[in-house]
Amino acid sequence: MRFLDLISLPLSALWQQKMRTLLTTLGVVFGSFVLAASLSIGQGVQDIFEQISRRNDVLRKIQVGLGYKPKVPDPAQHKVEVKGVFAEGRKQRLQRSIVGDDQASSTVDVIIDRQTLQKLAAIPHVEQVVPTVFARGFAVLNDQSQYATIGSSPVENPECQTRIVAGRFFQSPHEKSLVLHEYLLYQLGLTTDADMEAAVGRQIRLEFRRMHGQTKFELNLHKSDNTHSTREELAVVDKITNQLPAIVPKLELTAADLLVLKNTFQSGPAPVTQTFQHTFTIVGILRSRTPEEDRRHWDPLRTHTEIVLPSQTAVDLIEDILPKGSAVADRAVVMIDRAEHARSVVDQINELGLQSWAPLEHIERERLMYLLIFGGMTCVAAVALLVAALGITNTMLMSVLERTREIGIMKAVGASNGTLQFIFLLEGALIGLLGGSCGLLACWGASFPGDAYIRTLVSRDMKFDIEGTLFVFPPWLMVVVMTFAVVVTTLAAVCPALRAARIDPVTALRHE
Amino acid sequence: MSAPLPELPDGGRCAIRAVDLTKSYGTAGSPVVALHRVTLEIQRGERVALLGKSGSGKSTMLNLLGGLDHPTSGILQVGGNDLPHMSSGQLARFRSATVGMIFQSFNLIASRTALQNVELPMIFKGLTPQRRRVDAQAALEAVGLGHRLHHLPAQLSGGENQRVAVARSLVNQPKIILADEPTGNLDSSTAREVIDLIMQHVRQHGATFILVTHDEELAATCTNRVIRLKDGQIQA
Repeated sequence: MRFLDLISLPLSALWQQKMRTLLTTLGVVFGSFVLAASLSIGQGVQDIFEQISRRNDVLRKIQVGLGYKPKVPDPAQHKVEVKGVFAEGRKQRLQRSIVGDDQASSTVDVIIDRQTLQKLAAIPHVEQVVPTVFARGFAVLNDQSQYATIGSSPVENPECQTRIVAGRFFQSPHEKSLVLHEYLLYQLGLTTDADMEAAVGRQIRLEFRRMHGQTKFELNLHKSDNTHSTREELAVVDKITNQLPAIVPKLELTAADLLVLKNTFQSGPAPVTQTFQHTFTIVGILRSRTPEEDRRHWDPLRTHTEIVLPSQTAVDLIEDILPKGSAVADRAVVMIDRAEHARSVVDQINELGLQSWAPLEHIERERLMYLLIFGGMTCVAAVALLVAALGITNTMLMSVLERTREIGIMKAVGASNGTLQFIFLLEGALIGLLGGSCGLLACWGASFPGDAYIRTLVSRDMKFDIEGTLFVFPPWLMVVVMTFAVVVTTLAAVCPALRAARIDPVTALRHE
Repeated sequence: MSAPLPELPDGGRCAIRAVDLTKSYGTAGSPVVALHRVTLEIQRGERVALLGKSGSGKSTMLNLLGGLDHPTSGILQVGGNDLPHMSSGQLARFRSATVGMIFQSFNLIASRTALQNVELPMIFKGLTPQRRRVDAQAALEAVGLGHRLHHLPAQLSGGENQRVAVARSLVNQPKIILADEPTGNLDSSTAREVIDLIMQHVRQHGATFILVTHDEELAATCTNRVIRLKDGQIQA
């Protein structure tokens, strides 16, 4: 028997029973509609969650901090003599206080240095490690200097990039350049728009001071306007500090006063202040955040410093100005490929002895929500299709009964049991094909008002505008819905098909 | 596709051979014997009438010969095919290629036109739509229904319906034609026309013709041998 004839026979049978075919197909249409809607919304919700999290990649960012370990009690504390008579507990507490061991219960174990950064970068699913560098120093431009805070940023940092008002953001994490706040330029004496624009491309020097040696005497300038000391003022303070041991005896002090200060000026070598200078090219100028930008969600890459350096350049700078073996950063941000991997990456960061913070609860809540929506709707769809399948089985069994004589005639003129089985199975499959297609089409049609309604709800209740559509129809979805509908309806036709094949032709031909 | 059916050793001239053919219905405790140890031989081209009263077993015999039913015991060879040992698929091909059956109640599919009803056996035989259309049209024209090709059975008279049934049974040019009371529902003149059509084909193609009837006159006119059945057994 030819394949086209095998198709034409069930098609003809379906066409003969138009009302029955319509009603049977409607059940499949409903089931397929719910299934398509479930898959479509499930995928759409997932896309929107990803879209939200990708806006600033907040779910892909893990903040890493120094590793701490419990502090081991100083054995010296037991040898310290406590004057007076105390209970044992209080005596031990006083001993700890005397040796200065009571302020912290833990101590730094793992610092964030270049090796640590490399280890973090080697963790699977980690795409990038950005150290959060922080330093203070003087920015010097046109012989004007201004005390400023210095931070770091990766090349891709939308939060900073959107605040660039002149020039550009970084192109490489190693480039010897920086971006700085427009107020800092103003403080450095640039008082016109033209001056500001012209600052891009110019060289700027950063100066850092590091004090060597021991001193127990320190002078500070507290200015009435609460501004930080200028580098000239600090230079004067340094000179005074260095001269103090010599001039203290000349001051109007009593012998008792001088005795108090005696140990202070004889306890070690005179302190030496070392200055480090680095020159960078200004490539961009930043503005402040708008109130709206300030209200946006938490982002570990958000920087509040006046000067921002590319991440690797900042590490090189810190390594130069701090003593060898120091941490280059107190924190780092690890960026991973997908939010689902956050848990495993956090575990591996903790294994390195470091602390980590990630919005794991948010990620897991998001996934739970997605699974609940998807699972719930899939259950409804499965029930709907099951009901439709039972309807099909029932209808086709009735059809077999009604067509008993026809089946007998077909057997008498040469139809085999297999052919008859195939015809009825194909009838089921065609109902599934028709119902599945119409269900998909109906879902697609309903997606427009549905999308608009949900969009309005979200916008009204959450003050959030969904980009794109909530209903998505990727090719795999259409294949799944069609396949599922056809498989279910074909399975529903198995029992009627077997019954049709088992019909005795002699009995069938006598059937009225 | 399964292997071709085996040619039986004495299949040369013998179209039908039954030996101790028995068919019983019902349960083992209370069987109803429709045919009891029937033995007969029908040669190729022979025209045989099975005569008997209602319940004598003649329709059962015809259903067994047409491969629509299985014997309870005995040997049954039709057109060189050993029917009791054939699978359902082989029997379907046998019904499609070897026999043509005509029933008293026409047995046309009500939802299909005359042309489509006649095409049906050719569909199961695997012929192309073009070939089917040409052959079915020719068969219907041969029975005088060239002007009724697209009519449904409900739109045709009893005689016309039986002519469609005849066209359907002959369209595959079967070697054996089995007719079960083909004129039972027709008036005498229409019955004559239908029988003439069948006989014309039988003579033209040298087909073996088995007619089940209780009409002695019809049996005498159309056939050259009469086998009488009574209570499932051949009468001497």
